[in-house]
Amino acid sequence: MLHNLYISKQLAATKKISLTEEDLVRALKGKETIAIQALYDMYSGALLGVISRIITQQEVAEDLLQETFIKIWNSGDSYDSSKGRLFTWMINVARNLSIDKLRSKDFRNSNKNQDIENNVDFIDSQKKVTFNADTLGLKEMVTALKPELNDVLNMVYFKGYTHVEAAEELNLPLGTVKTRIRMAIMELRKHFN
Amino acid sequence: MEEAKAYIETGILELYVLGQLTVREQKEVEDMAIKYPEVKNEINAIEVAMEQYAITHSIQPSAGLEQRILNIITSQEPALPQPQKEEIKIVSLNPGHSAATVKTLRFALAACIAMLVVSAVALYNAHDQLGEANQQIAALSADKDKFASTVSFMKEENKDLQEIATIAGDPTWTTVKLAGTAISPQAKMMVYWHKDGQHVMVDNTRMSLPRNDASHQYQLWAIVNGKPVDLGVFDAEEQPKKLLMAMKEVGAAQAFAVTLEKRGGSISPTMEKMIVQGGVAI
Repeated sequence: MLHNLYISKQLAATKKISLTEEDLVRALKGKETIAIQALYDMYSGALLGVISRIITQQEVAEDLLQETFIKIWNSGDSYDSSKGRLFTWMINVARNLSIDKLRSKDFRNSNKNQDIENNVDFIDSQKKVTFNADTLGLKEMVTALKPELNDVLNMVYFKGYTHVEAAEELNLPLGTVKTRIRMAIMELRKHFN
Repeated sequence: MEEAKAYIETGILELYVLGQLTVREQKEVEDMAIKYPEVKNEINAIEVAMEQYAITHSIQPSAGLEQRILNIITSQEPALPQPQKEEIKIVSLNPGHSAATVKTLRFALAACIAMLVVSAVALYNAHDQLGEANQQIAALSADKDKFASTVSFMKEENKDLQEIATIAGDPTWTTVKLAGTAISPQAKMMVYWHKDGQHVMVDNTRMSLPRNDASHQYQLWAIVNGKPVDLGVFDAEEQPKKLLMAMKEVGAAQAFAVTLEKRGGSISPTMEKMIVQGGVAI
């Protein structure tokens, strides 16, 4: 197992490490560091994408990404593959750590200071994230997703809102928010398949 | 089938994948996924789509971060609180292992019982031997006592014999021969008298009197100025306990006589039952 992993790592020496979901889970539960290397290569960008949309300061976001990987490493045993894909579990870990950070006292304090000292920059950085989808070359997909679907999905998936909070924020009935989330994901499924 | 389809259309699976459900709602979805494969497949499809969506929104982290994480993980490794949990898992999930354990325990139990039996037998034997040893000790002790009493008896006898020899050769001792009377002509005995010391001894080795019965005893009398003085009673035995019997003291006597009296003696002698008598030779 380990031997095979090393071979596959050598084969992929110049490329990124990529393993099947099954091998990844087995390596993670077996505490093989190759699991973290592979997960990092495959998903660090996607996880940082989610974290950065909740915590906008790059440095703090990267600290949270580090924390996310360490938590994944330490609690690999608690992941149950029958309940969902590894990435879904990982992104939930990342999202929860980010939301905890966002709500933590020390983070709110440091944010306040930033507000006072560097107000304009902070707002800009917020805007930058809001329009990030465009800058990341996702125009094609964003246009494919109607704005009202895109807004709801991004609030819940990227910005750490609960669907109840999103309904309040957008001043929409909860049922409408649920329907829009479902429709948005169905659009995405069409797009990615 | 219809139920699964209706369940999928509620949109709860999307909320499940987005981590929007309470623990109880999550459990409900997971139960449905076990019950209906199409629910399970739907969840998987939603997950794959969200995964792709997240990947397209990737932001690449700084170059050194991966190494930083790996350093933390590898330095952490020795202090993992994992092994305990894993051990529990192995025991409960691997029936082969537990069967082997049961087998080992059974073997151990059998070995314990066998050892217990062996111990019990050994203890029983030891107990028997101890009993035997105790009996031997008691027997030896009895023998020892017997020898000791024999030795002390012989010492006494030896002492008496020496005393008799001393008396015989000592001029301060007077030897008085008592001869049989008319009713018992065969009877005779010897009395030693130390006049100054007033000691009176009867020599059992040189006594020849008919054996008295249980209700009678011989009584020795000294005849002092024509009157009988009691000197005590004795038995005529085949194997006397003492060779030399000390009698009551008397300072002056002209003759000695022995009568057969009731056991314990009489105040005055029964003259018709006089067995032997002898006068003191001056």
